[in-house]
Amino acid sequence: MKFLTTVGLTLLLLTFESVAVKYLGLSVTRIDVTVAVVAFLSLRASTVEGAISSFVVGYLLDLMSGRPTGLYTFLAVLTFLIGRLATSLVDVRSAAVFVIFTMAADLGHGLLAIFFSWLTSRDAAFGSNLSALPLQVALTGLAALLLYPLFRKFDSGAERSEVGLLR
Amino acid sequence: MLRLLKRNRDLIVVSVLLLYPLATFLARRPAAWEPNILDRAVLALTAPVQRAFIWTFDGARSLWKGYAALRGVRAENLGLREENQRLRSDTNQLAEVRAENDRLRRLLDYAQTSPDPQLAARVLGVNPAATILSLRIDRGESDGLRRGMPVATADGVVGIVQRVTGSFADVVLITDPNSKIAVKVQRSRVRATATGKGENRALHLENALRTEDVQEGDVVVTSGTDGVFPPGLLVGRITSLQRHNYGMVQSADILPAVDMTKLEEVLVIRTRAAPAHVSNPQARRAAETAP
Repeated sequence: MKFLTTVGLTLLLLTFESVAVKYLGLSVTRIDVTVAVVAFLSLRASTVEGAISSFVVGYLLDLMSGRPTGLYTFLAVLTFLIGRLATSLVDVRSAAVFVIFTMAADLGHGLLAIFFSWLTSRDAAFGSNLSALPLQVALTGLAALLLYPLFRKFDSGAERSEVGLLR
Repeated sequence: MLRLLKRNRDLIVVSVLLLYPLATFLARRPAAWEPNILDRAVLALTAPVQRAFIWTFDGARSLWKGYAALRGVRAENLGLREENQRLRSDTNQLAEVRAENDRLRRLLDYAQTSPDPQLAARVLGVNPAATILSLRIDRGESDGLRRGMPVATADGVVGIVQRVTGSFADVVLITDPNSKIAVKVQRSRVRATATGKGENRALHLENALRTEDVQEGDVVVTSGTDGVFPPGLLVGRITSLQRHNYGMVQSADILPAVDMTKLEEVLVIRTRAAPAHVSNPQARRAAETAP
């Protein structure tokens, strides 16, 4: 996906989620749309291009969070790099495998976010955040399934060679 | 040297992209939360999109809910609800101010003070990050809002303005784990600290001495000693008290008076001297050492 397309799409998805969660109630768990974007970038973009795009995607999430700390920017780049490593083993070509790939990325992303938040504030939310994680991962997987055709449409990149273990 | 840099350019770029935000996060400088020019530009871009989404959602909801003829009634109803909310908030505050004034008059013959002006704002959206509880309202710098202003509804305290840009602001809720406010038990005037638990329906009462008179069902209001919230705003009700036979303090859970999941309109209290955010060391220390 082109850089500006990634930024525009992320902004649109985050804004939509922000409004949708407001209407559905604050208690509804969040959907990590940014993780789906980063997961797709780790499949298609080159390391530097993807790292820059992931940085911007994470920055946007930080910005929309109301209290930017840099945590989500860091986690987006880290998730991208781990995703890049994973793609040397796994070739993601179908929507179903992309959903599993995104859910795994979101699980790692979510655990790290909870861990780092706890590390700095030692708050009592550790347990409640952890218990909300499975639903968050499941919803992110669902979002990935819906977003995959859209990502592919925006992605004008060439087809990749036959590599990986899982298709 | 230059060749070495050139050869490892990709590695350097990726390392910077990874380590810079990590360093920012670990440094946790509150000043970094102030929006810079780039932040403002991006936020300014999202605001119209958010409004467009809200407009679409509202339009769909209006169509769903009623006929065109009912639209006038709904608009009037919205206006009345807003007015009602403001009046109920005033009444709540007045009761506390009156009680305070009675005590002061009896003791020191103080003159009656007037409450701070309030500004109604609409909730635009909720932040998409799971570990931070905050929301965005449709009032900003252009309406005179500043960082650190308290936010409430007729039912009680909501949070504090964390970041302000042109036409909107982000409000961190009192249920956010980083939130600490100075409170007192309305019945016995015991001072304590209410901290967020990261859940939408729970706060934690801390720093109340074990010997102090606190009971389940007691109403908790802001004490005003943190320099952020004016005194007398309703915070919630004590639900479960934990008092052991040892230790210096007792603790309890507080059920917030405001249901944070159903917020649509809020009131920003435009305090004359806008205090620093609660993370400001002085205000935070005041909140933490309330008793």
